Amino acid sequence: MKRIRDFINRADIRRFRFWLQLFFFVLFIYGGYFAINLGNSIPVFSCGYDRQVGGMCYFLPLQHQLARPLDVLFSAASISVLIGFITFLLWFVVFNKAWCGYACPLGTMQDWLTGLRKKMGIRYSTYTQPQFDKLKKIKYIMLALVILAPMGVGMGILGGEWRTAFCEICPGRMITPLFVGDVSQWSLDFSTKTAMILTTLGLIFTGLFVIGSFVKKRFFCFFCPMSAMHYIFSDAALLKLKKDGDKCTKCGDCYNVCDMQIKDIADDVKSTNILRDDCILCMKCVAACPEDDALHVDILNMKLFSSTKGGFAKRMQMDKLEKKDD
Amino acid sequence: MVNFIKRDKDDIYAKPLLGVLFKNQKFLTILKIAISMLFLYALYFGFTHTGKENTFTTAVFWGIFWSLFMVLTLPTFGRIFCGICPHGFMGKYITKYGLKKTMPKWLQNRYIGVFLLVFGWWGVYYMFPNLFRTPLGTAILFAVMTLIAFIVYFLYKDMSYCKYICPIGTLTRAYSKLSFTWLGTYKSACNDCRTFECATACPYNLKPFTFDNRNSMTDCTLCMDCSSACEAVSFKYKNPSFSLFSKFQVLKAEVWAFILILASISITMSFHHGIGRSNAAGDMIWSKTAEFLKHYIDFGAIDPIGLFAFVYALIFTILAAVIGMFIAAKILKKDFNTVFYDLGYSYAPLFILGSIAHSFEMFFLKGYEHIAEGFAYGFGFTLDVAPLANRGDGWLHVFDLLKWVAIIWALIILYKRVKLLDVSRLRKIAAFPFAASLIIFFLAVNMYVGYIFKTYGKASNGHASHGGVERVNKKSEKQDLPTFIKPEFSDTIYFSEINPTAEKKSYGGGHSHGGARGRVATKEVWPVFEDAEGKKNCLGALEAKLYLLDANLNTKEATVSKDAGCKSVTFEMPDNGYYNLFYVNKDVKDNTLYITTAKYEFLRFNHSNYAIYDKKKMDAHTIKEAPFDILRVREDDETFFHALYSGKKLRVKVVLEEEAIEGADVTLSTKTLWSKTLKTDKNGVATFTLIEDYFPNWNEFNKRYKNEFLLSASYVKDVSGVDNERQYQKINYSATYPSYYYPNERGYKSYAYGLSAAVLIMIISGFVIYMYRTRREKPFKEVRFDEEN
Repeated sequence: MKRIRDFINRADIRRFRFWLQLFFFVLFIYGGYFAINLGNSIPVFSCGYDRQVGGMCYFLPLQHQLARPLDVLFSAASISVLIGFITFLLWFVVFNKAWCGYACPLGTMQDWLTGLRKKMGIRYSTYTQPQFDKLKKIKYIMLALVILAPMGVGMGILGGEWRTAFCEICPGRMITPLFVGDVSQWSLDFSTKTAMILTTLGLIFTGLFVIGSFVKKRFFCFFCPMSAMHYIFSDAALLKLKKDGDKCTKCGDCYNVCDMQIKDIADDVKSTNILRDDCILCMKCVAACPEDDALHVDILNMKLFSSTKGGFAKRMQMDKLEKKDD
Repeated sequence: MVNFIKRDKDDIYAKPLLGVLFKNQKFLTILKIAISMLFLYALYFGFTHTGKENTFTTAVFWGIFWSLFMVLTLPTFGRIFCGICPHGFMGKYITKYGLKKTMPKWLQNRYIGVFLLVFGWWGVYYMFPNLFRTPLGTAILFAVMTLIAFIVYFLYKDMSYCKYICPIGTLTRAYSKLSFTWLGTYKSACNDCRTFECATACPYNLKPFTFDNRNSMTDCTLCMDCSSACEAVSFKYKNPSFSLFSKFQVLKAEVWAFILILASISITMSFHHGIGRSNAAGDMIWSKTAEFLKHYIDFGAIDPIGLFAFVYALIFTILAAVIGMFIAAKILKKDFNTVFYDLGYSYAPLFILGSIAHSFEMFFLKGYEHIAEGFAYGFGFTLDVAPLANRGDGWLHVFDLLKWVAIIWALIILYKRVKLLDVSRLRKIAAFPFAASLIIFFLAVNMYVGYIFKTYGKASNGHASHGGVERVNKKSEKQDLPTFIKPEFSDTIYFSEINPTAEKKSYGGGHSHGGARGRVATKEVWPVFEDAEGKKNCLGALEAKLYLLDANLNTKEATVSKDAGCKSVTFEMPDNGYYNLFYVNKDVKDNTLYITTAKYEFLRFNHSNYAIYDKKKMDAHTIKEAPFDILRVREDDETFFHALYSGKKLRVKVVLEEEAIEGADVTLSTKTLWSKTLKTDKNGVATFTLIEDYFPNWNEFNKRYKNEFLLSASYVKDVSGVDNERQYQKINYSATYPSYYYPNERGYKSYAYGLSAAVLIMIISGFVIYMYRTRREKPFKEVRFDEEN
């Protein structure tokens, strides 16, 4: 048991993550070719506009369901909405926000762009703290759009183009189908003014997505409504990121490796549950922590992966460094 | 006594406007006097104007007081109604000069009030629905209540009427626990207090300084007398229903009030007014019981259906609560009473939030009109206002959301209250669903009402209190039956998705919405023909045979609608796939046998993930019952999402006796009167290109515009024979196939602009980021001072 634990704690989480991300990327983007279908309540942006999708992003069916006329929505049909939502919760509860860090195809694409940038030797950008505090609120506005726009359609206030308003402006709709050779989403829809504005916004966000995630790690995840939705239910999740404040030396290593610039991970020594709304549970912070058990990922209150001195030394290749000094 | 205190941020007394509204004694006294005057005036008016034209009395009592103001304020601000209640206001002064006796023990029973409300009011209401609706009935009811109140106030001390006799006393006390306000005191000031002004000022003999510690405001009616006696009294914003999340001394009558009121209002209304308005009303147990007992008992003026709906609602609700809690108590290994009364508080949101939804809906539909016109009448001028909404307005359903909020809120309260129990976690989890039995029951009743309406539909004679339904039906009866012309042989008959005589286009062309799972979608079509003027006529009688080829390639006969008027054909579509409806007619005239086929093809797809596109089944099929037929040849890459677009090719195959035929004439004619005729090739196929003939203004463009067209084929064969003892020398075959196509994507989508927009944004944002970063990272420049100067 101890040996297994040691093995996990000393594992090279980066390589593990790369392969797992690749696996999920293929599963979600090309799943249709292997006749895989995990349903349409997947809590990541595996876009339903990709015809070969191996499991659909929950927002597309959610928006369609909420766009039903209100009398239909609040009658027996709400059972189907509830079933979809419960399936979403069941998927989500197991992995918590690790869906973002390990499974989301759009996140994986951003990580690959980051890798490309690294290879080219270009430095990454960061936000200042005040900028960051303002920008992180955008995702809740997006979540409101996901829920309210289709309901407006159902009420008859908004036109039919608003049915999937968020999907229209989501970069995933344009980028994901590219991987199966479908460029039909790269167009402006001139059929109505609303459709034109929404598709134009979508293309603008796509452009920003590509450039933004090239210079800023996980650029889009700050604005992702799925991340906001995850956070609302994250207390109920089985997988948890925890911190033992007594063991923390506030060295700031975790903050430095964090793709999402979450300051609390280093600063907050009081709360045990350190998962914040921006967190993607990539576990980089746990891998980078040099203190024993200061940060750990728990599943059902059992330690799954925790920070250790040994693991830190191995990942930092300290033995090699020491040899060099000789 | 404290004369000044620094108030917390969340203290309502410290807010500029709300502070005056809730604390200023002068304002409150004037308000209370005004409301008492209004109350007495409405009573007086009810006695003097007993006719139906007196809408004022009913507007005051049934428009504002109950249920709008009550249900709106109880779960929000709390018992503020009690604070301004005319009985309480006047009772305070009556008690002051009264006998101040202690109430006898048998009267100190909160169930008196609860039972008065449930049986004395709601039971009577369901038995004699129109009794209290008249101004005189209302006035008598409230006059009697006022008389009783004044006698009790005069005899006994401490406002005992409010606590024990008032029908809504226990109700308001119970439901106000959901509110986000809290009357408490500042502990720092109260610790040194030895005079207790707040307690002496209280007409109810309560101790406001203990409210925070007890986590209960007990019988406080928010009359705000204490807040004028001492500044240390606070009135704060809190989280809604926060007091229910921790322990307090439970009051059994409150839990029973939750259950009985839920039963007598929400559940009975769902039974009697909800399901009672559907076509399935007669099959329900309360209707059956009433029918059965009618043979033995003479009910007289009593409405037996309402009475039994009420009785069954009470039985079902109480059983749901008690059985669930009993099992939960067994699982928790605790005394039933503690479990029942501790967890019973979670029922609180169910009735009150559902009622808010109903009250709001009624306010917009007719309450506003009633109140405005009633007050105008009461004060002697006339006013005519339109209701704020009409029955059937979609946005009204947004209030239904509150029912879901109620259920979720109830489950949260239950969760928090289960958490307080000291038993093992596993037992708590196991007991939770049973403790939630009444909440689940409430959910189930709501779902069931929706299901009943979906399946059986609304009854044509609407419920008396919901007049909107009746009006609609009268209108449809008035509609004159059109006179039908019999089609000539030269007329082409085809199926239309729209009833040509209907005034308004029916929603979705008769195609039922696929929203509800488990319900079979149907489609209704009308066989029509066009006369010389191009006007669509429908058929008054149908002699032709009708066949339906379903998605699983089974052929069966279809039936035509039975009611008078335009004949239509309705068929069910349980599976995904193509449904083909055939109309086959044979007739002999002028030595010619006319064989007419009209075909209607519809692709049913419910957007299911598990639907499989089986090419064999989805292929175009004909049936042997139709001698002459048009088939739309499927392309190789068709899916369930197939649709026709302008600019695309349309291949049509003509079949005679199930064999493709060469040389038949096929005509495609669009609604814009463009038409083209082709002869079929040796495979029996003719190929059309769908033209672009939809040219609206840009801002009126509709990408779902259906450009309807009709395919008609004809073929003449020189064969002589006999049909029904009539001789013919040749056979004239004709067939029709209506369909529609959408504007081409290229008409409104631009890939070039799309790509350039994205690329442009990439270049600009890349450049901006580059500029920003190079500027920020300016190399350090050393500034040297010239030391010589």
